[in-house]
Amino acid sequence: MKGTTGLIRIVKAALLLAFVVFVSLPLVQMTMISFVATLGHPDAELGAFTLRNYRGIFTDPNLRSAFANSIAYVVINICITVPVAIPAAYAFSRLSFVGDKHLFLAFIAFRITPPVVLTLPIFQLFSSLGIVNSVFGIALAHCLFNLPISIWILQGFISAVPREMDETAFLDGYSRRRFIWKILLPLIAPGIAVTAFFCFMFSWVEVVFARILTTTNGKPISMALNALFGFQTDIGLVMAVTVASMLPGAALLFAMRSHLSRGFKIGQV
Amino acid sequence: MKERDNTGWIFVLPAVLVLGLVGLVPLITVVNYSFFEIFILDARFWIGTEWYEAIIGSGRFWASFGRSTLFSMLILSVQIPLGIAIALCIPRRKMWVGITLAVVALPLLVPWNMIPSLWLALLNPDSGILGRGLGAVGWPADWKLSIPHTWAVLVAMDVWHWTSLVVILCYSALTTIPASHYQAAAIDGAGPWQVFRHIQLPQLYHVLLMAVLLRFMDSFMIYTEAFPINAGGPDGATMFLAVDLGEEIKAFNYGPSAARSVIYFLIVLTVAYSFSKAQSKLSERQAA
Repeated sequence: MKGTTGLIRIVKAALLLAFVVFVSLPLVQMTMISFVATLGHPDAELGAFTLRNYRGIFTDPNLRSAFANSIAYVVINICITVPVAIPAAYAFSRLSFVGDKHLFLAFIAFRITPPVVLTLPIFQLFSSLGIVNSVFGIALAHCLFNLPISIWILQGFISAVPREMDETAFLDGYSRRRFIWKILLPLIAPGIAVTAFFCFMFSWVEVVFARILTTTNGKPISMALNALFGFQTDIGLVMAVTVASMLPGAALLFAMRSHLSRGFKIGQV
Repeated sequence: MKERDNTGWIFVLPAVLVLGLVGLVPLITVVNYSFFEIFILDARFWIGTEWYEAIIGSGRFWASFGRSTLFSMLILSVQIPLGIAIALCIPRRKMWVGITLAVVALPLLVPWNMIPSLWLALLNPDSGILGRGLGAVGWPADWKLSIPHTWAVLVAMDVWHWTSLVVILCYSALTTIPASHYQAAAIDGAGPWQVFRHIQLPQLYHVLLMAVLLRFMDSFMIYTEAFPINAGGPDGATMFLAVDLGEEIKAFNYGPSAARSVIYFLIVLTVAYSFSKAQSKLSERQAA
């Protein structure tokens, strides 16, 4: 018995290690290229180790503004998504109302609708509202997939709070609104952080809406990366920008690591 | 039991308004366009269901439909078992859990338009780590000419990109199993397979359903990542549904692309509906 447990432990560690190596391979390749001069420059030979790719990020005003735009639209998106999702998640978790199941189905359907299906009308709608070429437009468009996912994650967290909490609070004279604000929100604070992180993650890397909504202005990092491809692509710079674009997410990921896996305890609606 | 209370609608109203604006209104616009011949948006005339008939009757649509279905099936058959296996392998020690999860989730942070570039760099026969390694064992450098090889690259890329999501979902479900279940299993002398089959797997059902839904739909409609790998080739062998639609939109064919969008949304609705059916069946079974 002892022998098999040890064997299983070794197999598990080997499998996990193999997967981590597989995950790292393209990332290692990317990081390696980002430190190499891939176009001939006066101060760096082709193929030599260099830091000029990273310096290039700071000297190019387009790239600097791309980082600012990406951060701006992701923050706006989180500021819309989370406050809107919390009451909805509460309702789906605690209340039964006419059409709740159908509404949840509709939300899920919007989450899995491919953005390319809605690109054209969203572009028209947003131009008539005057929010194309601005970070606000992208932030709003990304609610299409972030809002349903957020409701779903938060609903899991709220359902994990025992229902007796609600009942005691109501007996103590709390109104529903005050209960949510004073008792529920502090309890699900880690859940709100996880939700915000997932909004960040899905929004930061999205390309389809980001492309059609920013033809002249407000370009995020992914589009600035696209613009770097041309007749003579400095692939080292491209990889350096990609590495840099992953750093904020990686920092958040590391900060959130112990909460990351909590809160997908799915209750049914 | 949940409270029967229609004030729930007040709580969901903001969400309904936002999704109505960015989801429902554009959808209705698309449905409307799909019945018109449109040269410029101000000049259009009604042609009824002609676009739909053209699309449904075309071999090209069904060919992409078949390719997308095959791709999704391949992706699910790799990612779901692999995701479960990796989630089971994550060590118990708290420090390692966080680090493993953080490393595993890194691919989710790469901008989607860069994912093909990363893989092309990796597979470059002269400078790529994998390209050189595969060249040494005899994998041909001209994989772009071979249909199975292009498919293999696409599947590997998607597995790399998205398996982490399945891992995170499964791991989170596994952590909700109380320790007493494992102790009871140990007392009964259950082996690792029985523990998995009777304790861990049942706990995973709900999360797996969601993982299957997300992974099925997102790989079925793969767009940004698929095209740059081999431009839909060789010979159109990797032209998927969403890539077809993207090409149609780029060519400014408003009517046909709208009709295509509506057909795709109907597929989405069908999938979402079967998902909710499966979910309520699962809940009934677990309640029983």
